[in-house]
Amino acid sequence: MLSALDPQHTVAPAGYSRWLIPPAALSVHLCIGQAYATSVYKNSLIAHFDTSQTAIGVIFSIAIVMLGLSAAVGGTWVEANGPRKAMFVSACFWTAGFLVGALGIATRQLWLLYLGYGFLGGIGLGIGYISPVSTLIKWFPDRPGLATGLAIMGFGGGAMVASPLSRQLLSLYDPTYDPGNAGSVASSGALVGLFLTLGIGYFVIMMFGVVNVRVPAPGWRPAGFDPATVTAKPMVTTAQVSAANAIRTRSFWLLWIVLFCNVTAGIGILEQAAPMIQDFFRDNGASAVTAAAAGGFVGLLSLFNMAGRFVWSSTSDIIGRKPIYVLYLGLGMVLYTLLALVGHTATALFVLIACVILSFYGGGFATIPAYLRDLFGTYQVGAIHGRLLTAWSAAGVAGPLIVNGVLDAQGEPGTLTAASYRPALFTMVGVLALGFLTNLLVRPIPERFHEPRAAAAPTPEPDTATAAVATEGGSNR
Amino acid sequence: MSDRSGKQTARLWVSWLLVAALLGYGVVQTAITAAKLFAG
Repeated sequence: MLSALDPQHTVAPAGYSRWLIPPAALSVHLCIGQAYATSVYKNSLIAHFDTSQTAIGVIFSIAIVMLGLSAAVGGTWVEANGPRKAMFVSACFWTAGFLVGALGIATRQLWLLYLGYGFLGGIGLGIGYISPVSTLIKWFPDRPGLATGLAIMGFGGGAMVASPLSRQLLSLYDPTYDPGNAGSVASSGALVGLFLTLGIGYFVIMMFGVVNVRVPAPGWRPAGFDPATVTAKPMVTTAQVSAANAIRTRSFWLLWIVLFCNVTAGIGILEQAAPMIQDFFRDNGASAVTAAAAGGFVGLLSLFNMAGRFVWSSTSDIIGRKPIYVLYLGLGMVLYTLLALVGHTATALFVLIACVILSFYGGGFATIPAYLRDLFGTYQVGAIHGRLLTAWSAAGVAGPLIVNGVLDAQGEPGTLTAASYRPALFTMVGVLALGFLTNLLVRPIPERFHEPRAAAAPTPEPDTATAAVATEGGSNR
Repeated sequence: MSDRSGKQTARLWVSWLLVAALLGYGVVQTAITAAKLFAG
């Protein structure tokens, strides 16, 4: 039965609509995006295990480190085994993470949460994140930015779904829990119920992706699509580069730095968002922004983070990848400077600047697979993307370290003002400047790294009849 | 052939509706929270 997951059974028949692939990808990314909603039940876990913030924060850290590692190590496996098997494996690990985590909560064994949600769930995150990327790029050779933007938008949207859903489920399982009260904690039974519900629910939703995802038959192209129109653009190659060769190229590591800088700067705001807006409008010790309003600001940032992934990545199909990163990083420097200098003058101005910055943060994530496709071809772009995501893990450590390190030197939480943030914000301008210059140095991949034409043929082999129909152009829309 | 086409159309509707329902729920809930920023 599991042979249905094999790549040779995943090749699309003639007439299969490519518009089934984005919702398949979204059904995975919307589920794994829950990883950014763990703060909802963090206080309840701290109370349940009677432990520190750090001990609970480690669960999330393990998950993000495992995301980077499994994407980097498992990328080649995903390319070889196809998106359906990868999505299935991701769903199994992600769900197992919740189930083992629930067992840990029920038995008060914190190490089971580390093993479950952190280790197993983190593997599900990494494999799930990269599983649909190369497939989408193959289905949408005419609009790769739009396709990957749609999928990766789901990762941003996943937190927006999981945050309110988790609060409502905890209230349902524990009527004494008040999500509007920051000091309220849910019972252990409610936490176990939440983990079981999310684990089982996410498995069902991810199966939609497993059932619907297909790879196009070799040689398939959308009706009316002329590859020459894409390859005529600067920085777009017709050659193919393997993942093993990609990491030997200068451009791969330049892109690694570009992604690292973009994510580091964005995480700086994202991680500190709620206290930051309160501190920026603090006068004589009291802030003009309430805790509820600060929560609203975080919600608004999530919306712009998600929308930026789709809007900016789609725009990159029109203006090109390098120019869009010039925008993200160049305009980003201007916006960070404005935030530092005039952000404290009006709440609306502060919110506007921060929202545009977060849209660039999301855009940077969503555009990188299409940038990789342009430079390295489609041959092993998923595996190359997986290796590049280690920049995300590194930025996840560096961004908060920079901001928290600077703020610690400025004073105690609750006493900080807009001026306290200036050194951190100007540091981020420097980080963005590094990314800006690095992006300008990205060049096409030298020919010595290209695969021989025959070796770079797509991995899955369709049955003869399907291939024959597909290569005649098919009727896929 | 038309049966297959009909099944595919149904599959397209179900898939996009599922995604739209999830995203719609998230966007509405977040917008309600975000409104608090300007309510005060």
